[in-house]
Amino acid sequence: MTNDTAIVESTGTLTEQQLIDIGWELRPEGLCQGDTCVIVPDRSALVVDGAVDLVVLADLLDRPAAIDSLSGLAAIGAHRARRRSALVDLVAPDFSLPDLDGGLTALSDHRSKKRLLVAFSSW
Amino acid sequence: MIAVAIDENTEAIRDFAEGITFPVLMDPDHLLTELYAISNVPTVVMIDENDRIVHPNWSAFGTDMFREFTGIDSDRQHDRVRAWVGDGRTELTDDEIRASVGDLSVDEEQARLRFRIANELRHRGDEQGAARNYTIAGELAPFDWTIRRAAMPLQGEDPFGAGFMALYDEAQAAGRPYHGITGY
Repeated sequence: MTNDTAIVESTGTLTEQQLIDIGWELRPEGLCQGDTCVIVPDRSALVVDGAVDLVVLADLLDRPAAIDSLSGLAAIGAHRARRRSALVDLVAPDFSLPDLDGGLTALSDHRSKKRLLVAFSSW
Repeated sequence: MIAVAIDENTEAIRDFAEGITFPVLMDPDHLLTELYAISNVPTVVMIDENDRIVHPNWSAFGTDMFREFTGIDSDRQHDRVRAWVGDGRTELTDDEIRASVGDLSVDEEQARLRFRIANELRHRGDEQGAARNYTIAGELAPFDWTIRRAAMPLQGEDPFGAGFMALYDEAQAAGRPYHGITGY
């Protein structure tokens, strides 16, 4: 899912292509993903010298972002609305992850059934 | 049942998963710990047919091997799960569920992002950059085992060794913080 996590080469800004790579596009209506658009109240804060400011972008999308200047890598996290769904609405946020054979399985593939979700590890 | 390995060690997970028929999924970027505010494993979440969370993050163990170590009685947990599967009984109100997990702090969000940056740097061969970011992540979320303990094998440290015992003592001293319910 493009709205999961992303690692981008950035020390603070994104190119238009990088924005597209994480699933978003800047249009006259705002910041858009398919038919969904987020209003950009101050376009001059979001786009500076032709580049998209990562922190401003993250705030608009309500996603966390971190920048490691030394390596030139930044990370963007999931939309906070998904965790709010779990913690406030008590509706399980959907996700899609690979199984051991590389195929993708989504929580929603098993909807209409009771599910026991178990997070575990080898550590 | 859907098992999600908060782990990148596919071979170790494949060994665990031998003979298992329910989905076992890999989550090396720890997406689930962000979506469900998970701070340790194993964590169990009960989700009903309508996608409602009827029992939130639960520090549950499937075998009695851990009972002495943690004081958690797995028989009672099995009973609760059976009751739910059998007749939908869950014993928690919505308000109790909401009150029991607690959102991730900004630092805990940042820790997850730094952990992912560290993973990427390690994959690119930048061990120093990786170590720097694992350290930052650990400082941001010192009692999050999905950050501090998960990083141990990724840096050549035994997650069942002295580092783990030190982390356990720290967590004990801090009251064993956990995003969810423990201790049934």
